[in-house]
Parts: sequence; C-alpha cells; structure tokens
Amino acid sequence: MTDAVFTPRIDAPSFGERLADALLSGRGIWPAVPAIIVLMVVAVIPFVILLSLGFSDIEIARGDIVSQTFSLEHLTKALTDPLYWITFQRSLSLAMSTTVLCVLFGYPVAYLFLTGGKWTKRLILILTIAPLLTSGIVRTYAWLVILGGRGVVNQTLMGLGLIDQPLRIMNTHWAVLIGMVQIHLPVMILPLIAVMSRHDRQIVEAAENLGASRLGTLRTVILPLSVPGIGTGAALVFTLSYTTFVVPQLLGGGNYLNAATMIYEQVVFSLEWSKGSVSSLLLMVSCLVVLVAIALITNRFTRWTKGREA
Amino acid sequence: MMQGPTGPLRDIATTVPVLGIGAVSKRFGATTVLDNCSLDIAEGEIVTLLGPSGCGKTTLLRCIAGFWDADGGSISIDGQDMAPVPVNRRPVGVVFQSYALFPHMTVAQNVGYALRMAGRPKAEAAKTVASALETVSLSGFEDRYPAQLSGGQQQRVAIARVLVMEPRVLLLDEPFNALDAKLRATMQVELRQLIKTLGLTSIFVTHDQEEALTMSDRIAVMRAGRIEQVAGPDEIFDRPATAYVADFIGTSNFWDAEAAGGSVALPDGQCAKTELVGRVRVMARPHNLRLGPPGNGVWTGTVAFHRNIGPLIEYHVETASGDTIQVAAMRQDRARPIADRAAVSIVVIDPAGCSIFPAP
Amino acid sequence: MRGLRRQSLADTIAIGLILAIAVFSLVLLVAPSIIVVMISFDTRAFVSFPPEGFTLRWYWEVFQQGELVEAMLNSLQVGVTVTVLCILLGVPTALACVRGKFRGTTALSVFVLLPHMVPGIVLGVAVLFAGALIGVSPSIWLQSISITVFILAVMVRTVQSRLMRLDAALDEAAANLRATPFQSLRTVTFPLLMPAILAGAVFTFVEGFDNLSVAIFTHGFRDRPLPVELLSLVQFTSSPLVAAVSGVQIVLAIVALVLVSMSIGLDNVNE
Repeated sequence: MTDAVFTPRIDAPSFGERLADALLSGRGIWPAVPAIIVLMVVAVIPFVILLSLGFSDIEIARGDIVSQTFSLEHLTKALTDPLYWITFQRSLSLAMSTTVLCVLFGYPVAYLFLTGGKWTKRLILILTIAPLLTSGIVRTYAWLVILGGRGVVNQTLMGLGLIDQPLRIMNTHWAVLIGMVQIHLPVMILPLIAVMSRHDRQIVEAAENLGASRLGTLRTVILPLSVPGIGTGAALVFTLSYTTFVVPQLLGGGNYLNAATMIYEQVVFSLEWSKGSVSSLLLMVSCLVVLVAIALITNRFTRWTKGREA
Repeated sequence: MMQGPTGPLRDIATTVPVLGIGAVSKRFGATTVLDNCSLDIAEGEIVTLLGPSGCGKTTLLRCIAGFWDADGGSISIDGQDMAPVPVNRRPVGVVFQSYALFPHMTVAQNVGYALRMAGRPKAEAAKTVASALETVSLSGFEDRYPAQLSGGQQQRVAIARVLVMEPRVLLLDEPFNALDAKLRATMQVELRQLIKTLGLTSIFVTHDQEEALTMSDRIAVMRAGRIEQVAGPDEIFDRPATAYVADFIGTSNFWDAEAAGGSVALPDGQCAKTELVGRVRVMARPHNLRLGPPGNGVWTGTVAFHRNIGPLIEYHVETASGDTIQVAAMRQDRARPIADRAAVSIVVIDPAGCSIFPAP
Repeated sequence: MRGLRRQSLADTIAIGLILAIAVFSLVLLVAPSIIVVMISFDTRAFVSFPPEGFTLRWYWEVFQQGELVEAMLNSLQVGVTVTVLCILLGVPTALACVRGKFRGTTALSVFVLLPHMVPGIVLGVAVLFAGALIGVSPSIWLQSISITVFILAVMVRTVQSRLMRLDAALDEAAANLRATPFQSLRTVTFPLLMPAILAGAVFTFVEGFDNLSVAIFTHGFRDRPLPVELLSLVQFTSSPLVAAVSGVQIVLAIVALVLVSMSIGLDNVNE
C-alpha cells in the first residue's frame, strides 16, 4: 500500500490535545481536584469550624450565630467536670477491654486461617467479611434477643433447669462488652490475616524443620511476625469501640452514658453546640493519644521491619 | 504476507539515516544515565544496544520511543526531530519485555488496536490484522486471549501488533528474556529472518551477548551511559576497541605487561606489535591459545578444571603468576581431555590476534 | 524428614486450646445472625427462642409498614448516591495518586484518608454545625455527601491497589499504538479497573446504606434512613418484625459478598 496504514502525523499536538492530556492522563493532579474540593468543603472546613466552636463562646439567636468570642471556658469546664471524666473513662475502659478481648479471641482465628486449608480459609473469610456488610444495629439487635430477659440464654438455662429466674444480663456492663467484642471481632481478624498471609509459608516450615513444636513456632516465629497486624487491628477496634454509639445505647439501657451517647445528647437534644464541640474534640484527641501509644508499642516489637541503613 | 515499507519514503537518499541519535544525554537527579550518545542507523539495519543493567540501553530505547525526554541532544527519524512529537505520534513500534498484551482483549483486538485508535474502517482493519497474523504464523488465533497463549506465541502477537502500524523503526526491549533457552535460540533466528524479509529497521536491547551476536548487523556496546564501540559482530569479537568491550563479549584472558619500542612481550616468549607504550593490558581469546606438554614453553601452569561447551573443551589453567587462563580446544572424539592437576604449557597461536589496551 | 520435631502432649493441648477458641469465635460470629433469622420465621408475636412454627408473615409485614419501607428507600437512595459520588470522585483521585508525576502523591493519599480516620460521629457533628452556620439543614443530600466524604478513602484505596498491580507497560503500549491518553484510559485502564471499581462500589453502597455514626447527625428529619428507623423500632417493638428486617439485611449482605468475591476475589478484600 502506498498510503501507509498510518499517515503518522509526525507533528506536535494541538493545544486542545495537550490540555486533554494534562487533565485526563493522571500525570497531574487535575483528576483529583474535584475530590479535593469536596473534601475541603465537606470535611476540612467543617472540622475547622468545629474546632473554633469548641474554643469560643457563642450566642445563638434564631438559629444563627450572632456573636463568637474566643474563650477557653467550655474547654476548662469540660476538663474539670467530673461527669466528663467518668464518661470518658467508662468509654476508655470499655474500649480497652473490647480491644484486648478481640485480640484474645481474634488471634486464634487468624492462626486457624494460617494453618488451615483452602476451604477453611474461605469459610473464615466469609464469616468475617459478611458481618461487616450488615449494619451495626442488626448485629446489636441479635444480642438484644439473646441476652434479654426472655432471650436465648435465659430460656436455655431455664429450660435446662439450671436457674429459676431469668438472669439480668441485659442493660449491664457485661451485655455491652459481649456485644462490642462480637461486633468488632471481624475488624480485628481481617488485618491480622492480611499481615500473616504476607509472609512466606516456608518460614513456618523452616521453623518446624529446625525442631520447633507447633506452639514454639507460634510463639517464636508467627507471633512476632504478626505484631504489625495486631497493632493495626487493635487500632481499628479501639477507634470503633471508643466512638461507638449503637451498642451502649441498646444493650446498656438508656442510662448507660459513654462519650458517644453524651455527644449525641449534647448535639441533637440539648443543642449545646460548644459543649458538643468540646466533647467531640476531646474524644478525638484522647483517641489519637491511645492510637499513638499503640503505634509506639507495636514499633518497639517490630524493629526488624526497618530496612538497611542507607 | 505483509510487504515492507514501500512508497515515497523509501526513495529518500540513503544519506539520511532512518534513525539519528545525536549527542543524547539524560540525567535522573544527580545521576547521568545517558552521556553524549550518538548513533546513526540506516534503513533495514538491525542494531543491538548491548550492556549490563544500568548501562543506559533501556533508557536510550525509551527516549527513542518517546516515553522519556532526553535532556540534551536530539533524536530524529528520517531527518525529522522527534522532540515535539509525543509517543502516540512517533513512527516507532515497541515490543516490551513483558509483551504488554492487553489481557482483556483477544489476539485480534490486540493486533488491531492501533488501527482502531487511528479510526481505520473495520473491514480494512480486519484485513490488515489477518495479514499481520499470517506474517507471524498465527493465523487462526484471532479469538484467543493472551492468557491462553504460550510465551513464544505471545511474543509473536506483540510483534504483529506493532507491524500493523508499519513503523519506521522497530524497538525491542529484551524480547527473549521471558523465553526458555531452547525456544530463545529458535525465536532469535526466526525473528531476524522476519525482520530482514520485511526490511524493517530495528533496535534490540539486551544484556545477552549471544543474542546480540546472533541477531545484529551492528552492535553498540554500552557502559555507564556511553557507547563504547559500534561495529559488526565479527569486528566487535575480533577487534574490541576497549578492554571493557573485550571483557563483555566472549570469554577473554587478561594480563598486564610492559610495552616498549613498538611491541609487547607475551608470556610465552613471542611478541605482539602495538603502538602503545608503558603499562598495558593484553587480552587473548581462549581459542587463540593452545595447550602443550610442560616442557614445551616458558608459560606454564596446572589445569584447575575443564568444562564442555558445545564442540569445545574449555580448560582453566592456573599459571605460576597466579592468573587463571582459559584455553579452548576442539573436542576430539575418543581422545581424553587433559586431566585436572596436570602440568601444561600455553602458547599463543597468533600474536596478532591479541588485543592490547592501555592500562586502566 | 521431620528433623528433631518434638510433639509433646503439652504442645498438642496448647494448640488444641487455641484452635478451640478459634472455632468458638467463629461460631460466635455467626450464631447471633442465625438465631435472629430463625426468630424471624416465628409465628408468635413476641420474641422468644426457640421459635415456634414457620411463617413469612413478618417479612410481609416489613414491606407493609410505610415508615419502614420509606426508610429502606431512603437508605437505598443514600447508598446509590454515595456509590455514584465515590466512583466519580474516587476513581480519578486514585489515578492521580498512582500515576501522578507531581510532588504530592503521598500527601494526596493521606489527605483522602483523613476523614475516614476521624470518628464518624465527630465528622457528623462537624458537618451538622457547619451546615447550620451556612443555612444548610440536615437532609438526605447532606447525609449522602457526608458519608461519601467519610468512605471515599475505601474506594480510592481499592482502585489504587488494583491500579498499582497493573503492568505499567500496558499504558505505554497503548500510547505507542497510537492511543491518546483519553483513549488509553477508556480502552485499557478502565476495563482492567472495573473489578476493583465494582468491589469498591459494593463497600461504599453498604456504608451508605448502613452507616449510622455520620447519618445520625446529618439525616433529614423527614428522610430517616433505615438504621435510624431501626434504632427507634428496636427500642419500642417486641415482635419478630425487627428480626425480619435483619433477615433482609443479611440476605443483602450475602449478595454483596458474592458480588465482591466474583469481582476481586475474597482474598483481595483486605485493605
């Protein structure tokens, strides 16, 4: 063919083409700009406003802010209010216990995953991911049913003749704890599985070949290598359980006050904006402190992950 | 069967090289990856860029293709500067090391991709695709997916895919890396024949010297961003320009010596002519040396071990001065090779065949 | 050859214990849902275990209750809106993060991740306040956009990780084969990204549908999403109706799970 299949236009591209190239190719930041704008408007700016509200005295008239003066009053009031301390401490201890229990119950599942066959792995993945696709309320409701006065536990125990009167499990700290652990288990298990799967299976086989028992292999090889997964899982579980709203509300009865329910009450019912802001900020800061602590602890146990010194 | 490029472009005076690389350089941060590389490639030539990892050969290829911009110098095709021309307009066809076949498209869709992008009518495109597949002997594979093909077949699809563009220059980045040894040899010969039949100007990039020696009309040996020598396979092998080239291509024996008065003394007593003076490095190929009984000469040593390479036996001899000299001898049926730890003497068969380089 | 492997009784017991805990945990994960589903078929009008009889009456009831149906439709709308927004915003962002040749690619990744790291309720409160200040009151749209911002990182991350595993040469090959950047995106990149986009869509839809932490502050008074509706329902109803709603949700979750495993495979879910 004399007219080559291509009449290659060996010339420079037009302005329009270069513009399209710059915008679309992903080489520049342009494709991300819409997301950046939305994030700024819907997340960053509101957050800054939240910050400012927490640190100011505001007068509201007809649903709008009339005046706003800088003041640490709300912050200091919160920090010196014993109710705040009790509430936060309760949230904290609940979250801590949940996290610890999740580690204790979740790690064996990850171990089972590691040592199990193809179908075991699949089953574990299904059982772990499926709950995450249902809403928290659905999962909490199940516990309402199970732990209630006429719930499964009581009915079974009474049916077996072990007790005469139903146990009062609902609306106690224990109910909340049980619910929290079960609901947050998947969040612990998945990162663990992710981290543990990344390591070469042959490391375990090498350990066995060198004479370690299965427990020994677990203790000396698998466990240390999975510490980053424990760290991630713990961080996630802690954050979620520290800030959870549904479970304490439903399983703890109306009087169970924790940080999240307190914020809800302040913001939606009492309309005390500054208080709500301060509470939210305190929640975030305290959460961050714990997360940093978890990160530091994890770091201490994972010195081997650092690369070669340059 | 596809024809090679025909038409007006072919009649351009042969003084304009198809691909002109002029003093091209490129830096990544503080590192100079390409340093003043110049190379002209004529119509229908197969040139190989040969060198170890990091020598800049792939960088140069990518600059020709347009994936990267050169910092200095110029790249031109048929005399036209390619600097303002983006990748998708350059008349080059790239065959990648991993072949980069589109996994979600059939063979036909892969091969016809460029035609679709250029907006060619479907019927015409289909014919071109069929023709290209026939050229690479893959007719009938239109509806297969890349995952269902063997390595060799994938390579051929990759080639057909660029052939439909009738590129002025074919660029191949270590195309045989993914194939096993036996297939490699066959494909190399086949590919060279195909390229020659179509009359395509091609540039190969490889670190495999055997591949370079098999495929190329000329080899450009690269080192640290520079082109050390450009020459045909025979000349590169027999008359390497530098010690580096000598070392890189084929097996070589090196030793130091003093040159004076137009010649340098060889360890076996003979002399080789040279214009260099002072300390030099002498190189002799294993097939330019011969082993004899220990009493025969002054260059003596003991056999450390030997190995078989095709029709040759390669002896590794430890000399008194501590060097290990490799000597190649033809295998003779039924004659036993020289035993390990036997004492031998080495003689240079042709002193003029030695290469002499300045001391580093 | 097993080497010097010592298999003592203590070892077996210890490992056995660990595996037993694992099995117990797995049962714990699934048992409550099974119980709830069983209860949803109970013929009696109160919640009790074990259930008596078998009826689909409560499922029928679910779709008869106007408020419930409306709540489900609201949640459906939120889910779809969030998903569409996340795709439109998130996929280009992922592209920029992975393919970008500008300085701030890591910073961009982190920036997108930030709203997800903040507790949901804090984000909800912040959006509520900010909205009030400029006169935007809670509505189904405010809810949608705030959840989008919250969950965008998941879509970005899912697409990002698939993008990173694509052979970069594919894009270069397309360019060499005469494709403009737009054509290359359309014919090569997007088709190969589809599985990840689909998986991301499933997650974002579920979050839009199920989210309570952000929604509780930003939902419209008249457009209550299902989780909020359920919250009051649970506290005031004692029939298996709620169990039936749960049953519906569980079915949806299984469908979502199947979709995800078909698109990117279960093992790749781990963010």
